[in-house]
This record gives sequence, structure tokens and C-alpha cells, in this order.
Amino acid sequence: MKKSTRNVLRVSIIVLITLLIGITLWFNLTSGTKTVNVGDQATDFKLSTLEGETIQLSELTAEKGVILNFWGTWCKPCREEMPDMNDFYIDGHEDYEIVAVNVGENQQQIRQFISGLEAELQFPIALDSEKSVTDAYNIGPLPTTIAVNKDGVVVKKQEYQLNHEDIASFIEASIE
Amino acid sequence: MKLKDIRCESCGHVNPPGTQLCQSCGKMIDNDYDKDKIKDLMRYDGSAVRSKTRSKSIFDKIWIFFTSIKVGVSIILAIAVAAAIGTIFPQEYFIPMGVDPAEHYQENYGSLGYLYYSLGFHNLYSSWWFLILNGMLALSIIAASIDRGIPLFKSLRNQRVKKHSTFFRRQRLSAMDEDAGKVDKLVDGLAKKRYKVREEDGNYLLEKGRLSRYGPYINHTGLILLLLGSMLRFFPGMYVDETLYINEGETEEIPTTEGQYYIKNEKFTIDTYEKGDGEVFQKALAEGSSVISNFQTDITFYENKSADIVGSAPDLEAIDESSIQVNHPYRFGSYEVYQSSYDNSQMKSMTFRLEDSSGNTVGDNFTVNLENPESTFPITEDINVNMRAYSPDFLEVAENGTLISETPVPRNPAFVFEVADGNDSELSLLQIMNSTDITEDNEYSVRFVGAEEHIATVLTVKKDHTIPLIATGFVIFLIGLAIGSYINHRRIWIRTDDGLLMAAHTNKNYFGMKKELNEVLASSGMEPVSDKLDVAQTDKDEE
Repeated sequence: MKKSTRNVLRVSIIVLITLLIGITLWFNLTSGTKTVNVGDQATDFKLSTLEGETIQLSELTAEKGVILNFWGTWCKPCREEMPDMNDFYIDGHEDYEIVAVNVGENQQQIRQFISGLEAELQFPIALDSEKSVTDAYNIGPLPTTIAVNKDGVVVKKQEYQLNHEDIASFIEASIE
Repeated sequence: MKLKDIRCESCGHVNPPGTQLCQSCGKMIDNDYDKDKIKDLMRYDGSAVRSKTRSKSIFDKIWIFFTSIKVGVSIILAIAVAAAIGTIFPQEYFIPMGVDPAEHYQENYGSLGYLYYSLGFHNLYSSWWFLILNGMLALSIIAASIDRGIPLFKSLRNQRVKKHSTFFRRQRLSAMDEDAGKVDKLVDGLAKKRYKVREEDGNYLLEKGRLSRYGPYINHTGLILLLLGSMLRFFPGMYVDETLYINEGETEEIPTTEGQYYIKNEKFTIDTYEKGDGEVFQKALAEGSSVISNFQTDITFYENKSADIVGSAPDLEAIDESSIQVNHPYRFGSYEVYQSSYDNSQMKSMTFRLEDSSGNTVGDNFTVNLENPESTFPITEDINVNMRAYSPDFLEVAENGTLISETPVPRNPAFVFEVADGNDSELSLLQIMNSTDITEDNEYSVRFVGAEEHIATVLTVKKDHTIPLIATGFVIFLIGLAIGSYINHRRIWIRTDDGLLMAAHTNKNYFGMKKELNEVLASSGMEPVSDKLDVAQTDKDEE
């Protein structure tokens, strides 16, 4: 074998194996838990609400920024942040929409939860009974709140209870 | 230092630098080479192991590093040690579903367990460093094989019939006879032993079983295919091994099918052996334990006709019905769905009865579905029980009277029941073991009768496109091993210029070759071969 052929062979084998290791590692690290991060395109979904209506994310984002609040009746911070979100919502929501996505609970539990709140919730409560949206967004702890702008891009995400400033900044982020 | 090609002093053949024995005539070029060795003299036929000659660019340096046998063995050792450590604590797929692995290893195995987890031993076969080790093993196998295999192949292909007389002296087996005329009979006899004969001017080369020398390289090819196959498992769509948990009567999406296929668990059955079902389990049955004869899930297989956006209800069309049993999976496309285990730890419903103040049961029992409870349960024509509040995992009573749950899982259900008999209503809080009257002087009390569990089947969804590659690799590996182990590469050189001089070499099994040679030598009227090792041994014994 000529020296040049030998060099080409050596270099190409080393490069090929390095490349294959790299690709394998990349597949390995990116598989499984694909969390939704700021900058990602928000997955479109369609859910029915407690009132029996159907909402679709892409239809909402066509006109407004959307704040998705994933919650459960048993989660204490959810119970605490809901009335605050409601206060903001009542003050006007021409530019944005709040969708409170309940994670996999039955209507009895949700209605019981709402009747136990002093505030009268105005924003729609979407029922993710099969947890398919929760899985698609790979939601970890509850509450998790995600702001989606009019382009359908995730612009803000928080995995703990929202205070007043947080709610304000979520609204602002979704409108921009 | 620049290494030069070496011209053989004897025959003039130009050899690559690092050559030990002239590729053409077999005369020793490096005088320091294997002075005392008889055995290893012919390794790689004395050709230059290529990596031992030049070292220039960074790629050459990497290459040379990986051609080293020491490095190769170190990598194999590292993989073996890592795999051994990986068995100290269970791998992640053996720990209970849904628990946080970091906590699990810390709690069960202490700080050593936490270290185990942080270094990735809990998921050994997909940890980044284990993948890199395997990649390095592949590079080591390829580089070492190319650097040793190609020169060996060339020197075996280019070997000349005529060898220098010193080459004869160095071979372990040799025979001599003053009568050069015996050569024809000798060569004839050997040809009958299926040696391939080449002749040049009274010099002979007889050879068989050359394939044996390529055994290790065939074997390595198989190993590379095996590594390639195991690598492809990480590529999307190549390999699926997922668990699917379905309660009886429920329908679930099959993971990794992008919502296209669904399975409904129609019925889950466990059969046990009974006394009299043959001999095998009688002892166990006599001791009172039950032996399971069959796990079975009866399924309906659905295809989703509207592969619509997330969250929308699927439009399912029943395609097939089947029964999945252990080792009898349901197959669709390239998927297989196996029966794995079952679970009956989740509560499904609770049954209650109503009792009046004198302790008599009133009306029918009523059952509360814990997943989607009704709000009213008729007991008699006049009396209803209304469920005013329910918490699946009771934590506390909120200020406004509703029940607060700790988790959504029905582990410790609590209820507030209202008993209404048309005139008044009374309230009571009920937990499984405990009931408290909310209103005073209750006439009725609700009593817990029993609970029913969900029966869930646990299925494993599998798909593996790497099996053909891995199987091929394994077969090639075994073929290479067999070729290298059971075929002997035997060569015999004969000179007839000064009497008859014969030398013989084999890469293994000298005993067998001596036996074969002596048989032919005897029939040609020659003395048996002399073996240098025997001579050396005799010398030692005489001392």
C-alpha cells in the first residue's frame, strides 16, 4: 500500500469512529426526556374545557399570547397562585389568554377544588385527562407555567409558584 | 529519525523498514531479532508491523497508540471491570417505576450508591464513558488488525519458493538426507496430504491451511459488526424497549408509534396450577404456595385513523384481537408486545353500606369509583347518599370544609357523605378506618365494606432492527474463531542443491505436523524430523 493511501485510510478510520461515537452520544443524550425550553416551538394541542368547549393552542396564539398553567387539585402552590392569576385576568385580558391545564384528574375533583376557592375563576380550565399534553410538554413538577407568544414560540417557563411580579412578567412576555 | 527501506544482502529484495526476516528469501535482516526464540520467530512471518515504523502527524500518533496490544488489552480490561462494577447495585431499569433514581440509590445504598448513580453506573450501557470505551475498542481492533493483517497478507502472498539456507536452520522442524533423489517421492507423498506444491529450480514450497492465519481478522470483523449493531441501538427508530401499563378495561397509546397504535386491555388472567395437574409442582402445592401456570392479557389492537394533534380524542378502529401470554408476544409491523408482569396495588373502588342508629343495614350497598366518582347513590326509595367531598390521598380538611389531598393517587381515600332521607340531611367524614360525624346526633352511619383493586397488565413493547447485524457479527465471530483454532497453517520448504534439506513450520499443533511428516518421510525412506525443542530438552536432560 502506498504511503498516501495509508494516510488516507488512517485519517478516515479515526475520523469515522470519532464521528460515530459523537453521533451515538448525541442520540443518547437527546433521547427520552425532551424538556420544553424557552425558544422552542410550542407543540399544538386540542383539549376540551370544563365548560365543554374545545380549545386549540394554535387558534389562540393566532390572536393572543397564551399562558399555559399546568396544575393539579392536590398541589398547594397551584391552589395559592390561581386566585392571583384570576385577579390579573379580571383586570383585562384583551392581549393574552390564560389556559389552566389540569393534569389528569376527573371533573369531580376539579369542581370540588373550584368550589373550595373564594375567587370565581374566569379563565378556561382545560382537561388533559390522558396526560397527553402534559407528556408532550414533558412537564415535571406542578405548577409549571409556560408563556407562548403569537408566533407559537415558548418565551418563558417557570416550574414553581408564581407571585404577582411573575404573573405580570409572564403576561408581558406572552404579549411581546 | 527517518527509517529507510532495507535491501536484503543476500537476494537484493527491498523490504519495508522494521522487517525482521526478508520477505523474499527469509534470511534474517535484524540480527537482534529473536536470537533465542524458536517459537515466535515466524510471528507475522517476520514482516514489519507497520505502526512500529513511522510516527509523524497527530493522526499517526493516535493510530499508533491504538495499534498497541497493551492499549487494546487495557481497554478490554476497563470494559470488563466497568461491567463488573455495574452489577454491584441494580441497573436503573430494575428499580421501581416512577421513583427518582438519585434518591433511590442514596436511600438504599448510601453514599456509595449515590456515587454509583452520579458516575452513571446505574445506566452503565448507555453512560457516555462506556460508549467512548466501546468506540476506542473498535478503533483499537481496526487499527491493530490493519497494521498486522495487511503486512501478513502481503508477505504470505509474496512469499518465494527459494529460501536462504540460514532460514532452514532456524526452523523448529527439519530433516536431511544425502540423497536428493528422494525428493520426488517425498513431494508426492505430501501432495497426497493435500499440500499445495510450488517448485522453482529444485526448490519446493508446500503449503496448506493458509486461511488459519486470517482467523483472527475474520473474528475481528465479526466483533466490529457486533459493536456497530450495539451502536445502532442508540439511533432513533432502531431499537425500542418500553413498558406499557394498562388497567383492565382501559386503552393506552403504544409508546414510540407517534399515537398511531393503541392497545386495550380487555381482560387480564392469572391461572394457577391445581392439585392433580401433573407431578411437577405437587410439592410446592402441598406446601400451600400457588404456582402460576399462565399470565394472559386479552387485547384489542387499534389503529388511530385521525393522526390528529396532541390532546384530541383518537379515532380508533379495531384491527385485531389477540391474547398475549408469557413468551407468546403480539406482533405488529416490526414491533413485539410481550407479557411482562401485572400490578394490583392501585385501588379502583370502595363499597359502603348504610347503617341506622340501631345497627341495621339500610337498603343496598353502594360502590364509589375512585377514579371518576358519582355524586349521588340511591339507597332506598327515600334515602340517598350524596358525596359532598372526596380526597384520594387525604391530608386535611380545608377551612371552607372541602378535603385536601396530598397526591392524586387513591392511597388513603376520605369522603364526606351526606345522607338525605327527604326530611333532613346529615354529614359524616369517612376514612377507611375512621368515621367522624360532622352534624350532631346522626341517625345513620356509613360503614366501609370493602375495596376493589385495579388489575393492570404490564406489557413490554419491543422493536429491534439491529438483530440481523448482531447475529451476523456473532456468526462471523464464531467462524473466525473456528478457523483460527482448528485449521493449521503448515508450510514445508525443501532445497535440493546440496543433498535434501527440508524445514517445516506450522502456526499451531507441531505434534500433529510431526506425525504427518514422519509418516510421509518413512514412506520415502527418510529419517524422522528433528525437533529443536526436543533437542534442547535432551541437551538439558543430559546436563
